Amino acid sequence: MNEAKNPNPLFMPRTYLTTESNKTGSWRFLRPRYDEKTSPCSATCPAGEDIARIEMLATQGLFKEAWETILRENPFPSVCGRVCFHPCEGQCNRREFDTAVAIHSLERFLADTAIRYGIKPDLEKRSSQKQKIAVIGAGPAGLSAAWFLSMLGYACHVFEASAEVGGVLRWGIPLYRLPLNALRHDIQQIEARGVTIYTGKPVSPDALEKMKKDYDAVFIGCGHGRGMSMKVPGEDLKEVSEGLDFLRKLREGKTPPCRGVSAIIGGGNTAIDVARSVVRLGGKALLLYRRRRQDMPALELEVEMALEEGVELQELVAPAAVAREGDQVVLTLQEMKIAGEEGGRGRVVPDEGKTRKVRIDRIFKAIGAQADEPRYQPPAGASGLLSLSHTVLVRGNQGAVMVFGGDLTNETKSVVHAVASGKQAAMALDTLFQEGIEAIVPKLEACRVGEGPSLSMENYMGGERRLRNPHVVRYEEINTDYFRFIPRVTQPRLLKEERVQSFEEIDLKISAHLAMKESERCFNCGLCNQCDNCFIYCPDTSVIRDQDHQGRHINYDYCKGCGLCVVECPRNAMSLGEEKS
Amino acid sequence: MKRVLEGSHAVAEAVRLAKVQVISAYPITPQTHIVEILSEYCTKKMMNAKFLRVESEHSCMAALIGAQSVGVRSFTATSGQGLALMHELLHWASGARLPIVMAEVNRALAPGWNIWVDQTDSLAQRDTGWIQMYCEDGQEVLDSTLQAFRLAEAVNLPVMIVLDAFYLSHTYEPVDVPSQEEVDRFLPPFVPKFQLDTAHPCGFGPLVAPSDYMEMRYHIAMAMDEALGRFDEVDAAFAAQFKRRYGQVEAIDCEDADIIFITTGTVTSTCRIVLQDLRARGEKVGILKLKLFRPFPSEKIREKLKSAKKVAVVDRNFSFGASGIFAQEVRAALCNMPDHPPVFGYVAGIGGRDVTPELLEAIYWQTKNSDVPQKESVWMGLREVKNAD
Amino acid sequence: MPTEIMDREFVHSGHVGCPGCGATIAMRFVLKALGEKTIMVLPACCWSVIAGPYPQSALKIPVIHAAFETGGATASGVRAALDMKGDTETTVLTWAGDGGTFDIGFQALSGAVERNENFLYVCYDNEAYMNTGIQRSSSTPYGAWTTTTTGQDWKRLRKKNIVEVLVAHRIPYVATASIAFPDDLLRKAQKAKETKGSKFLHIYASCPTGWRIPSEMSVKIARMAVQTNIFPLYEVEDGLRYTINYKPKEYLVREYFKLQGRFKHLTDQDLDQIQQMVNEDWELLLRKAGKRA
Repeated sequence: MNEAKNPNPLFMPRTYLTTESNKTGSWRFLRPRYDEKTSPCSATCPAGEDIARIEMLATQGLFKEAWETILRENPFPSVCGRVCFHPCEGQCNRREFDTAVAIHSLERFLADTAIRYGIKPDLEKRSSQKQKIAVIGAGPAGLSAAWFLSMLGYACHVFEASAEVGGVLRWGIPLYRLPLNALRHDIQQIEARGVTIYTGKPVSPDALEKMKKDYDAVFIGCGHGRGMSMKVPGEDLKEVSEGLDFLRKLREGKTPPCRGVSAIIGGGNTAIDVARSVVRLGGKALLLYRRRRQDMPALELEVEMALEEGVELQELVAPAAVAREGDQVVLTLQEMKIAGEEGGRGRVVPDEGKTRKVRIDRIFKAIGAQADEPRYQPPAGASGLLSLSHTVLVRGNQGAVMVFGGDLTNETKSVVHAVASGKQAAMALDTLFQEGIEAIVPKLEACRVGEGPSLSMENYMGGERRLRNPHVVRYEEINTDYFRFIPRVTQPRLLKEERVQSFEEIDLKISAHLAMKESERCFNCGLCNQCDNCFIYCPDTSVIRDQDHQGRHINYDYCKGCGLCVVECPRNAMSLGEEKS
Repeated sequence: MKRVLEGSHAVAEAVRLAKVQVISAYPITPQTHIVEILSEYCTKKMMNAKFLRVESEHSCMAALIGAQSVGVRSFTATSGQGLALMHELLHWASGARLPIVMAEVNRALAPGWNIWVDQTDSLAQRDTGWIQMYCEDGQEVLDSTLQAFRLAEAVNLPVMIVLDAFYLSHTYEPVDVPSQEEVDRFLPPFVPKFQLDTAHPCGFGPLVAPSDYMEMRYHIAMAMDEALGRFDEVDAAFAAQFKRRYGQVEAIDCEDADIIFITTGTVTSTCRIVLQDLRARGEKVGILKLKLFRPFPSEKIREKLKSAKKVAVVDRNFSFGASGIFAQEVRAALCNMPDHPPVFGYVAGIGGRDVTPELLEAIYWQTKNSDVPQKESVWMGLREVKNAD
Repeated sequence: MPTEIMDREFVHSGHVGCPGCGATIAMRFVLKALGEKTIMVLPACCWSVIAGPYPQSALKIPVIHAAFETGGATASGVRAALDMKGDTETTVLTWAGDGGTFDIGFQALSGAVERNENFLYVCYDNEAYMNTGIQRSSSTPYGAWTTTTTGQDWKRLRKKNIVEVLVAHRIPYVATASIAFPDDLLRKAQKAKETKGSKFLHIYASCPTGWRIPSEMSVKIARMAVQTNIFPLYEVEDGLRYTINYKPKEYLVREYFKLQGRFKHLTDQDLDQIQQMVNEDWELLLRKAGKRA
């Protein structure tokens, strides 16, 4: 030390080494490790979006990266950020702490930011494959299939019967929910990938047969264009029309008549869309639903806004007969009553003898839809048929593989389920081409987010996400000591007086500042957001900071397995396992 | 320059001349004058030192251990109860190989409260690894204190300069106080062999297992042995410069003495008078004054005593259950020598009781008239005790 | 906390601290704040052993081990010597446990701070003589089991309020800190470093071994102690100006006590009484801080 000059060094109690020669790692009987897990939001999202990571990137101000993270699993952030029914928020762990994170608003924000700044995404793309794929129907399912297939290197040709692309996104959802530029932006990204879209090209049965020879696979996502029948007398009167047709005419720029009172039969989003559109055109909307308000499949917020805008709701009534009386239409309604529960909703039966009549000017039906043509349905009982959760594959002896998806095959008919369907189709086809049909089910299972059924394309393509532990983080596993109660951001909207005057978008923009404050509320369940708690609290200086993106590693030579790092990780991104000696 | 100083003041002068940098102080009669004078020196900038007014003697020693470990010369003074309180840290100072110098004014231990001279306090610390030097007069006090710094720093052991309460601490005598230049020639600045240094961090005094502790203690023992030779070197160097020499022991008329007194401290002065008187009456008597007590000058003692017929040790202290301590130590030094003189132990002057020439002469006659010592130590001058329960 | 402060390390791995040792976490934090120009005085305590047996040291700064009761006095000497050498920059840090601060080291501490010696005294408090095997000290809280307060003789005396004792000495800076609030702790250590005169930090350092809690709960317990008002985070300048740093969550003390094996003998009545005592002490603190009439 500092006694070098003395020829007779003192032998005294004074140290000259460090304790580093004492490898205290031998004390361990439990071993901590970094173990990123699955967030409940991402497992619930039918498209399997990596939501915890999206919010983490947004909090860091990395909006482009956050937007790209969405695009890897869902090509429609502008659309879904406006019209998705956001089941993610219903499973958000934060809801048990204060309120769920406004994931839906944040998705919209990120998409809007991409639009505003004209951001070009940098996404992985596989090298070109030899197979060519035809997609019939440029709705959310078809376009998603094309998006994911082109990510996997396949050339895709999309055939759309109508003049413009989008399917129900273009023709079914009103502008006040989904403005055109938002839809167009998402579609531009898809086209920029190299997907070729032919509009005004309905596919006849002959054309379909030709496609089966010219292409290696054909994806059919034509959707449900035809309304269901009420099966009541007078249904064929001209005053009775399809709600979807009404909405389509509006989107074509026409102004279909809706003076007076329009009755809308149904309780789903289409029914609400029709009702609220009628109000905006100056008419009165009378919404008639056979069950109760809480049973309505439409988004609760939509119903609330509809009622604010003056839509009148009558519950527990079903159409019994339609008749004309002069200029008006008389609709006989059968009153219904609740007779138990089924599937979480009330089960209704006619309240015998109780009927009444309402006088209206027209009736719009919005009671569900089905495929336009039988050939759009997957053939039941066909040989070579493989039913997956969101798609059906039919592989004949020769010709293209047929894949059916979207509303044709999905149990839940929504945009995000259509996206899931397109993704699943892409994965199934790619596996089929590269490995064979037996490989499809196990390969797709390996890409599940959590326990499934949502799939991750990032996993499929070998991204880092595949290293995540499929365990879905529960609220009890979050260390809430690190979070304070913060109110959820309020989504700014037009006032109801402003809303009914036009079809202008109701939801207003939130600032980046508000968005980041909201995304910061996200627990980032199961993900490491580099908070460094593990490094800060280790009593043995055994968490070593690294310069790489992982950020740190555990020095197992010294780690005593005390478990502090695991407990103090606010988001359960570490695990403690048994030390195997 | 010759000045008339009390013993305490002589200590303070030496500390000033030694350019001590950190002084810790806690008052206890009769050493307090030492620290009061030093406090004044610091305030008047006659010394450039930090003066720590700590809250107990134990903290005095703790502070010096801290200061000396940083690598500066340090000093404190204490007495009696204060020294007893420091006991734990006296062991610490030597174990830490710190060349701390302390003035210790021999004072009796309580209860009852007794502020007068008694050597039990310093001798009870004989096992702590401190070098101990006993002084007879004010000059010796000043000289020994200066020598102490040089000796301590040579062997890295702490040194205690011991002086009698009141008889030495508060007695005014002519003392030759050297100049700063003269002292600087004798005592260079302190160069620590180790120190607390943020540029070279290490731990001082950590846990030491049986595998290493014994060797560390052995090295202390070796340093103590080395101190014997170093003492002589320092003594000689001092003599060369200042013309005063003390030796580990001082033999007065011992060559032909039949009976040799062994004395320490101010008793020696009284004994010199008694010796002159007895010699004038034809008694063959001598005095062996012990200056260095630790390390114990066994060689010198054996050498000086070997021709004596009897030895009379005067102890102003006692180790209960054994005997006077100097007697015990002398006996131990002689026991393996064939034909060594018998050692007669006498306890006198306990708790400040005066040791008069008459008492010393009585010791002489008692020794001469006894063939062999009847007891380990004989208590001299005891009075009849009244009111014992 | 700036990265360059938080990132620097002064504690080596390989020391023999128990898994989850709160005292080690406290040391890491304080030294990060103080930096390499620090000399440590280390009286007898758990850290005497953790600091490494000869010839190893677990610390990257110089350490002088000291006798149990000498934390304040030894530091006074170190400071005086450094000043004499012209080094007024190096921080003198006494690192003592509760035993060496509240009990045997009390005199030397009081003496040193009464003299307003320029040093930082850190007491890391694990609420008993842990190094010698969990014996009771005057810092042991009301209700605790220790090896010298067993069975029905659990400690029925309140914990000595060392912070208020130091405040009464009117030294420039006194503060409490908890290992569960690292930014607060580091800020206070830095503030102490930049203050001249005597500074005292009372750090709550959990002891899994002595408190009978699982090792991974060290930090959580330290957090709960603050959240329940049992260990409020506050600072006092010049013995006069109180600042309460953390508005507690006012969790019930019951939650804190139930997690620790050293308190498992307490009945609901005992816990109610303790809740009252904690509430009283908190009110008293609020009054001192001027938050109550």
